[in-house]
Amino acid sequence: MTETKERNVYEKISKEDVFKKLVEIFGEKYVTNKSGDLYQYSYDMTECKPHMPDFIVIPEKTSQLIELVKFCNSNLIPIVPYISGNNVGGLTIPENGGILVDFGKKMNKILHIDNNMMYALLEPGVTFGQLKNYLDKNYPHLRYSYPYAPPYAGVVGNVILSGMNNLSCKIGSMGDSINGLEVITAGGEIVRIGSCFYGKNEASPDSWWSRYPMPDLMGLFINWQGMTGLVTKCAVQLWPNLPIKQTHIAVVFRLTDVASVMREVGRTDVIDDISAVSIEVVKMAVEIPEPKKFPDEPYFAVMFSISAKTENQFNARMEILSNEIEILNKQGKKVILINADEYVKLFNLRLRCYLDLPSVVLPLVEYSGLTWFGSYAPSHKLEELIEKVYKLFNKHNITPFIYMKMMKSSHYAIFRPIMRYNKFKEGEEKRYHKLLDEIVDVSVDLGCIPYKTPAWMTEKMRKKINPGWINLFEKIKKCMDPNSIFNPGRWNT
Amino acid sequence: MISIQKGEDLITITLQNILSYRKDDEDFIKLVLNWNKTVLIEVDGFYPVEVIFDRNEIKFKTKNFDKKINLKVKMDINTFLDLAFGRLNPIKAFLKRKLKIKGLLKIVTVLKFMKIFLKTMKMVANDPNNNYFELNKETR
Repeated sequence: MTETKERNVYEKISKEDVFKKLVEIFGEKYVTNKSGDLYQYSYDMTECKPHMPDFIVIPEKTSQLIELVKFCNSNLIPIVPYISGNNVGGLTIPENGGILVDFGKKMNKILHIDNNMMYALLEPGVTFGQLKNYLDKNYPHLRYSYPYAPPYAGVVGNVILSGMNNLSCKIGSMGDSINGLEVITAGGEIVRIGSCFYGKNEASPDSWWSRYPMPDLMGLFINWQGMTGLVTKCAVQLWPNLPIKQTHIAVVFRLTDVASVMREVGRTDVIDDISAVSIEVVKMAVEIPEPKKFPDEPYFAVMFSISAKTENQFNARMEILSNEIEILNKQGKKVILINADEYVKLFNLRLRCYLDLPSVVLPLVEYSGLTWFGSYAPSHKLEELIEKVYKLFNKHNITPFIYMKMMKSSHYAIFRPIMRYNKFKEGEEKRYHKLLDEIVDVSVDLGCIPYKTPAWMTEKMRKKINPGWINLFEKIKKCMDPNSIFNPGRWNT
Repeated sequence: MISIQKGEDLITITLQNILSYRKDDEDFIKLVLNWNKTVLIEVDGFYPVEVIFDRNEIKFKTKNFDKKINLKVKMDINTFLDLAFGRLNPIKAFLKRKLKIKGLLKIVTVLKFMKIFLKTMKMVANDPNNNYFELNKETR
């Protein structure tokens, strides 16, 4: 049962008066304080402690949110942004109660697709499935980049938290491809960042084309987990949707060899996306309840997405990939390259959930608990990371679900051990949290930086981070949000 | 009715998936029912899997193989795909030593294996399977 902490949030104004004000701003239909409605917003699938919000509001337009922010700022009431509830890490659990703003219901419009400069201007509630569907129908020559997330996950939330995508080997993090943001700051002021900063009141829809060269204020909002303002618009880059697309899989038979396979192939600069999953993750997709690696099976499957405009270009890319795999085999690695699109047909089509994104990996979300350590990782430390984390999984007798990515032609990597578990089985959450805790220690020691970080993890990180960074971070937070109304508690603020 | 054991390793999952495609097909049932043979399939670089055709059951083993194996087949994964997707025919593959068969003299067994396995593999490969998200809808 979700508990409700005693708080002093309503010292300045009573809950009844807050409710009245919210009804005035959003209309009676779009405000609730009923516990039955609030409950679903109080938890996520992870081990992060649930907490009830006091109110849910469903906004439709920015002017309502300006009024809300001004009201909350003068009455010291927390505001927590929420899109579709798919986050892991407790990022939208209202630790201090307050008002949860559900963007997913009505502020979910695709405002503009710029065909010339290839970007999409989105409201915060737009989902990956919605954007993909819209582009496929109306702009089939354009594509967005999609993460390993369900189609009902929100684009903007993922983008401003620097999620990754299926073009990551080419373009890096999603945060790198933001062209512009519209944000409401603590004083209730609208700020437009990026080339859309021209125009006193409104920005023209075709002005959201670049983030540079002015001072990059985007950093005040990206990765802050909603602690510095309320994002109301976001422009994201789109990419040419090339006609030829194929996925190839390299199966890797020795545990740590997967690191060099990903790194070296990433450096060839011909691959859109490189994702590696442990063989247990492959088997999970085909619904083997407790997947185990058999002795002579490979440890990892590395998926390479390749796209091209012409057959010649595609064949050249394939030649480069095959040559690289041959070199790795000559160096003593045991790697077999397979056409994934063909093999998956014979193996089990359910595996396509890793190839056709966005998608739901049903066996991953069918358990009541799901948690992870998602991190940006130094790619030269991957071998050590894999070895140590694999040992930890074995020590706790928990199936090693490991997922990795190579980013921006191998400049850095993503390292993400994942765990699904039965939240309501006695002792299970504690057992899995213990493993996660040990994984965090090992990985942070090796230089990994968690993203979409839960507060208990940032607490650990704070002990290792340069004090100058923490001081500056605290100063900026205080300057941007002096009354700590924006998603309080994140990063232990 | 043919019962096919659920695979738990990469190769048996593949074999199970392929053979299950025709498990309700009358021609397939006629071929498989009471065949009572064992076939060892080895994909280069992976590991051998024994396929046991036992009355109305198809079972798999990845160790402790039977002493009497009726047919041994060996190929690499890309030959496997070339055969399935029709880029290579079995005779050419055999002549080019891409497909190695031990027990070739048992011509009836070899031909039956081709009908059971290679034909089914081609059928799976040629199925557009556009609605794969819906395939197991009833089980959900």
